[in-house]
Amino acid sequence: MKKNRIVFRVFSVFLLLVFLSGVSVLAQKSPKDKFIFAPLNPIKMPKVETVVLKNGLKLFLVEDHEYPTIDMRAMVHIGSVYEPSSKIGLASITGSVLRSGGTASITGDEIDKELETLAATVSTGIGQTSGYITVSVLKEDIDRALELLADILINPAFAEDKIKLAKIQQRTAIARRNDDIGQISNREFEKLIYGKDSLYARHPEYATIAAVTRDDIVNFYKKYFYPDNTTMAVWGDFNAKEMVAKVEKTLGNWKAVRIKVPPLPTIDYEYKYTVNFIDKPDVNQSNIMLGHIGGLLSNPDYPALSVMNSILSFERMFKKIRTDEGLAYSVWGSYRSGYQVQGVFSSGAQTKSESTVYAIELMLKELKRMKEEEVSDEELAKAKDQYLNSFVFNFASKAQIVNRLMTYDFFDYPLNFMEKVKKGVEKVTKKDVLRVAQKYLRPDKVQILVVGKQEDFDKPLSTLGKVNVIDIKIPPLRPKKKAPKK
Amino acid sequence: MNVKKGFNRKLVLLLALVMLFNLSLLAQTFETIKNQVKVHVLKNGMKFIVLERHEAPVVSFHVYADVGSANESYGITGISHLLEHMAFKGSVVIGTKDYEAEKKILDELDVLYDEMKREKAKPEPDKERLKEMEGKFETLRKKAKEYVVNNEYFDMMMREGDRGVNAYTSTDATQYINGLPSNKLEYWMAMTSDRFLNPVFREFFKERDVVMEERRLSSETRPMGKLIEDFIAVAFKAHPYHHSVLGHMSDLERITRRDVREYFKKFYGPSNLTVGIVGDVKADEAFKLAEVYFGRIPSGPKPEPVRTEEPEQWGERRVIVQARSQPIIIMGYHCPDARNKDSVPLQALANIIGQGRSSRLNQVLVKEKKVAVAAMGVSGFPGDKFPNLIVFYAVPSRGKTSAECIEFIDEEIEKIKKESVTPEELTKFKRSQAKGILSQMKSNSNMAALLTYADVVLGDWKLLFDQVNEIRAVTAEDVKRVANKYLVKKHRTIGEIVYETAKKRKEQ
Repeated sequence: MKKNRIVFRVFSVFLLLVFLSGVSVLAQKSPKDKFIFAPLNPIKMPKVETVVLKNGLKLFLVEDHEYPTIDMRAMVHIGSVYEPSSKIGLASITGSVLRSGGTASITGDEIDKELETLAATVSTGIGQTSGYITVSVLKEDIDRALELLADILINPAFAEDKIKLAKIQQRTAIARRNDDIGQISNREFEKLIYGKDSLYARHPEYATIAAVTRDDIVNFYKKYFYPDNTTMAVWGDFNAKEMVAKVEKTLGNWKAVRIKVPPLPTIDYEYKYTVNFIDKPDVNQSNIMLGHIGGLLSNPDYPALSVMNSILSFERMFKKIRTDEGLAYSVWGSYRSGYQVQGVFSSGAQTKSESTVYAIELMLKELKRMKEEEVSDEELAKAKDQYLNSFVFNFASKAQIVNRLMTYDFFDYPLNFMEKVKKGVEKVTKKDVLRVAQKYLRPDKVQILVVGKQEDFDKPLSTLGKVNVIDIKIPPLRPKKKAPKK
Repeated sequence: MNVKKGFNRKLVLLLALVMLFNLSLLAQTFETIKNQVKVHVLKNGMKFIVLERHEAPVVSFHVYADVGSANESYGITGISHLLEHMAFKGSVVIGTKDYEAEKKILDELDVLYDEMKREKAKPEPDKERLKEMEGKFETLRKKAKEYVVNNEYFDMMMREGDRGVNAYTSTDATQYINGLPSNKLEYWMAMTSDRFLNPVFREFFKERDVVMEERRLSSETRPMGKLIEDFIAVAFKAHPYHHSVLGHMSDLERITRRDVREYFKKFYGPSNLTVGIVGDVKADEAFKLAEVYFGRIPSGPKPEPVRTEEPEQWGERRVIVQARSQPIIIMGYHCPDARNKDSVPLQALANIIGQGRSSRLNQVLVKEKKVAVAAMGVSGFPGDKFPNLIVFYAVPSRGKTSAECIEFIDEEIEKIKKESVTPEELTKFKRSQAKGILSQMKSNSNMAALLTYADVVLGDWKLLFDQVNEIRAVTAEDVKRVANKYLVKKHRTIGEIVYETAKKRKEQ
């Protein structure tokens, strides 16, 4: 009897537990149930201060007191597009030696040591259409970091030894540029779209690196690297007023030049259908890229294009070529837009050699379909919801906010550009998506590039059209020119 | 001699004081954050670590499954990573139009696949029969596909604004990441608990193809991928760090849906899962919801730890990868796991030898001797949950050789073994390490990742913040000691890429 009672008791406790867990089961929702979300807490817009120093240096500052650090990022109107074609590599070398070459009073190596002992970084670089400066320090070290930064920007030494080092790095990069299939593919595809010798696609060769002299570097720096050509974002644990004073005290001595950098050259694109091939006999997977010229962010169709991109890349390319067919890990289709220079429209995938032509045919089919029929209501709604519901992430950090504003300003875009795009996206219809697909996508006039092992392809590439074989052999330093001394 | 020593000691003390002051500021920041972290463990063993951060109305989630390629055995290498892919395929609710009908076909497919596998394994497979079965298999696969809602999990998450939906698999862990507007906490709970409670591994065979393409992309077509794969295979002869996260192709070709189900059952129980949630949510509410949604997952035993240990190495090992690529060298010495007391001094050693512009390797190999364009060092490779490697690698300058790079790396190692490191170098390590952790903590997503990592691998999430004290405590003597203890030639492996010309290829 006693035993039984215990059993009963245990049983009732068990019942009670079942009942309790039953209550929680009631509270559970299935993922497919209707969820009513509480209103989102408001986005706290930080105060962004904009200050232009007397020398023209423009600052965007945001206080962020969460962690005891200070960060800076500046953009400069300069770029490899301005270097002469006989000296390709000059901009890149200038950008790196500006920092590594030290100043009139301290060597680059000493700067490296001192900054790293402070856990600080200061770096500079020059890309295709802009240069950059970045600083990252613990707040207690900001004074010394600014001092060093100003010294670097105002009195760079461009030490010969560091020029030599930068040239070795350039030459090594040239020697290694055909080692990685992805690198080959990206580089050669850009050359196909922008043109082999285009300012936007050309790259250094041994001869162009050899031709760069210290005078070239100094002149290039002097011609473009100045404060009234620079916009800087500053964020972190500081008082904005005090920070401006600190910057004024140091970078205020950087002399203005008041010369406007020449506008970026425009692109005159001729649409054409081409099939191009680069032989890489040591791989078992082809790298495919196809496309044509893209557009500008300032295009009023940009919101509709970005909805189209999202549908094309995920709903079409990803779902069809990756999920249904299992043909590739990474696959996309995207009409890209640049701030000042037209982007590239491209679709790409990497697939095993044996499915190369099949994958290309499928990609082209999906591109054509974008132009032939409207997207579904569901596809449109998903793409728009995704953009609008994740919009709040654009405000996830103060660093993000201040950098965005600085970038818009640098490229002469309205500071509320993103909000304008959002309003545009809200209004995009199925008809808009079809219209922009028809207007901007030209699947009949794409340039196709395949890098891979031809003998294993499922079908000869020539089934797609006349094949142009691209030679990527690295040209040696011209024998007439004397090699630079080691 | 004595006088000099005394003077040095004073200098060290002075520098240490300066540094102590600087680091204490950071230590304070760490302490403040640490006090805001809240933890709740469900009855089934699943652990939730929450940090409220109300900067912006967003929240990041990090589910850390304590399973990675180190848990795999022969025949199923790559399965952790494959499972990571399969975990996005939905559940009995998500990703299907009619689960009951779908299930029947999926089961039939499994049976047929096994039959095909058996036939193929015969010394003389019946080709007719195989062909017939393959035809039937394809028909069934297409039939199953009719019930599938393509990528519904991704669709649903992205539609609610998930910008961060992703997952990673490493040697030590499989990690699932989401980021949502912060009013969607319960939605995440419903979506995530559902796929851990009732996962359905549908579209298995095509996803396996995707994973094989990923393997080709990251390992087989990339010289560096090949080098790392062969390097770890030689450095670890017994421990499963031996094989890459991507697994062997032949295993990927043969892993079945049943293998994946069993692997899931073994390693995805609640006691093996740790969740980090960081953002604009209330910890109490997160815990309440966790009880409701994840509390219903039945508890199970904690999986048995990895058995195999790496035995002592009997001599230097070398491995050569022939590829159409300029040379690269990598050198690794055996080291203990992350919980070992030598772990932080080893981090100091890697930092001082090979991290940053002023590191020894960059100073000597890159700047002075110009034999390399990059030369670095890192500890905890390829993972750090188990005994691992401290690794140095160099990318030789054009015209320079791997041998030259090895020679100079060896010289620098010997110097440290004899003379230890300077106080400035030690300061650099301490400050950059602390600042590095701090910088990572700035994003919700990284913070969630760090909290779960510290809890699982280091053994306690608090160590994420307390490690700054360990970092502060490292002395030059410690660094010298671990250098002498671990940087022993007999216990190292060197891997090299050697250029293979087209001519050589044909000869073979």
